[in-house]
Amino acid sequence: MQFIDPGRLLGQIYWGAQYLDTGWVSRLVPLLLVTFILINILRARSGKELYIRRIAGLNAIDEAVGRATEMGRPVLMVPGLSDSVNAVVVQALNIFSYVTKTAAKFGNPILLCCYNATIYTVAQEIIRDVYQEQGMVDRYDPDSVRYISDRQFAFAAGVSGLILREQAAATFFLGEFYAEALIFAETANSIGAIQVASSTQSTQTPFFIAACDYVLIGDEFYAASAYLTRQPVLVGSLIGQDWSKMLIGTCILLGALNVTLSSGPFAGKSLTEEKSAGVWKPVKEPRLVSPDDVFAVQLFKSQDKAYVKKSIVKPTREKDPDYHPVGGDE
Amino acid sequence: MFLAQVDPSLNFWNAPTGTTEWFLKVGLGLLIGFGLFFGLMSVPTNLRRPVVAAFTFVSGLFYVLFWLWPAPIGREDGTKPLNAVEGVGFWLSDALPKVANFTNILAAFMLGLGVFSVLKIHLGKIAKQQKDWGFSIVLLTCIVLMVAFGYWDWNLRTFGADSAKLDNPTYWHFANYMQDLLFDGLLQQMDAGMFSVIAFYILSAAYRAFRIRSIEATILLAAALIMMLSLMGAIGYLWDQKALGDASPFIANFKLKEVAGWIKDNVQTPAIRGIDFGVGIGALAMGMRLWLSLEKQGQS
Repeated sequence: MQFIDPGRLLGQIYWGAQYLDTGWVSRLVPLLLVTFILINILRARSGKELYIRRIAGLNAIDEAVGRATEMGRPVLMVPGLSDSVNAVVVQALNIFSYVTKTAAKFGNPILLCCYNATIYTVAQEIIRDVYQEQGMVDRYDPDSVRYISDRQFAFAAGVSGLILREQAAATFFLGEFYAEALIFAETANSIGAIQVASSTQSTQTPFFIAACDYVLIGDEFYAASAYLTRQPVLVGSLIGQDWSKMLIGTCILLGALNVTLSSGPFAGKSLTEEKSAGVWKPVKEPRLVSPDDVFAVQLFKSQDKAYVKKSIVKPTREKDPDYHPVGGDE
Repeated sequence: MFLAQVDPSLNFWNAPTGTTEWFLKVGLGLLIGFGLFFGLMSVPTNLRRPVVAAFTFVSGLFYVLFWLWPAPIGREDGTKPLNAVEGVGFWLSDALPKVANFTNILAAFMLGLGVFSVLKIHLGKIAKQQKDWGFSIVLLTCIVLMVAFGYWDWNLRTFGADSAKLDNPTYWHFANYMQDLLFDGLLQQMDAGMFSVIAFYILSAAYRAFRIRSIEATILLAAALIMMLSLMGAIGYLWDQKALGDASPFIANFKLKEVAGWIKDNVQTPAIRGIDFGVGIGALAMGMRLWLSLEKQGQS
């Protein structure tokens, strides 16, 4: 079987040759995921009622802030140890803006500790915006958002010190956390603070589960803003994520079934021919079927490197007369 | 010297120092930068959102194009693109290091604001002699000392007469010793100290988590117990080698090593992968919402 060369087909001989990689299904899947998310955003925008299950960790936010108010102690938030403002930080700050809104209503002080200076400036803007929206600019304390340090354990020591000195009644650790996760959680636990936590690093999730009162596991963290605000865009996006998970789950299930059937009941079957450079050729020495030979695996993997390599011809380009090679600093 | 020294080959994004082209590009870069800065500041608040949304989209579009546009194959320095499609591919790959540098420039500005925050809070604390103001003095002294000796040390190592010899402590100056004392002698040790505290925290958290309170906690306890026992050499040896050493193949499945391996491969790893899939898809959706400015920041 010969593969169609999309480059030649479109009359552009050399561009697009990287798409000859026969693992094209692995490119199709992200495209499908994006489509699912966009379709559901449109569905939600059109007014369709979409259901979100109850998430205990998010229901606990009001309870935690309320408790802090009763005790007259601050609410402390940490948006993780991200190196820059990324999707994780934005999501954490989204949740914190809700927490701050609740705290502002009760007139409760807040503390937001930042690991990174860029996050600090963004967080400061967001928190100020929240107070402004609530018509309580006078209650906004610029020092409530603090830059602590961008060294992991200096940050851990700084935040732990703040938790102990300020006697935070509720703590929210949401974002990217690493080894310091347990230091925060145990310090807050030692003063009896109610804790809501979530780490996008799956290695730290068990520590939070062991030490905190409420934990948002995995994508519950990303569901938070949709759950709290019920904005159609966010709810639709969340449903799109669920569709995406179902697609991945189905792929895994079918793949597992395929591998099991191919290497289980037929174990010991010898492979006599394999595809090379686009054609099936007999193998030099028959070998056992391995998971890599199975259809489901080949569908997602570059299965015919030899053909791809052969089809990519290095083009001969003209020299650029304006080019002046220089070997470094002048 | 180039506008961006990481890329010595000449392209749209740089020029040889001192040439008219270089001055022109530097001037144009500054003009665009300050123009954008003051332009955005003077835009009415209600118009700021669309402007920011447009910038976000264009910035995101660069990376989307970079990953999806057909990449030039076997590109060599000093060659011309074959056609317009390759031309865009050339332009995108030339622009990548420069676009990435924008983030570094922004981060450098923000670091100044971060340091300002630290100074403001702690100087205020000292001035008002608030609770624990002594710690603030220690913190600010440490910052000043670290910056001073760090810079002095860097200066000696970079421009000093005997800079090449400074890898050998015999030739060290006062600044080198001080930097070593402050960084390796104190800061690194304190970092290690904080890290080691985690061991005790794991113990106290595990004690609370592993108490038999519910079915889930009991399963957790049993799994943890098997894992811990499988890692204890003496117990593993006694159970796996002595007690079940010559057992039948079926009984051999109950060796601690086998059971622990089964738990890791069939329970723990799939669970972690499931969580990672969820997190990955969540990040993808969040990234898309941000790129298309569908996310309304601060309005949760």
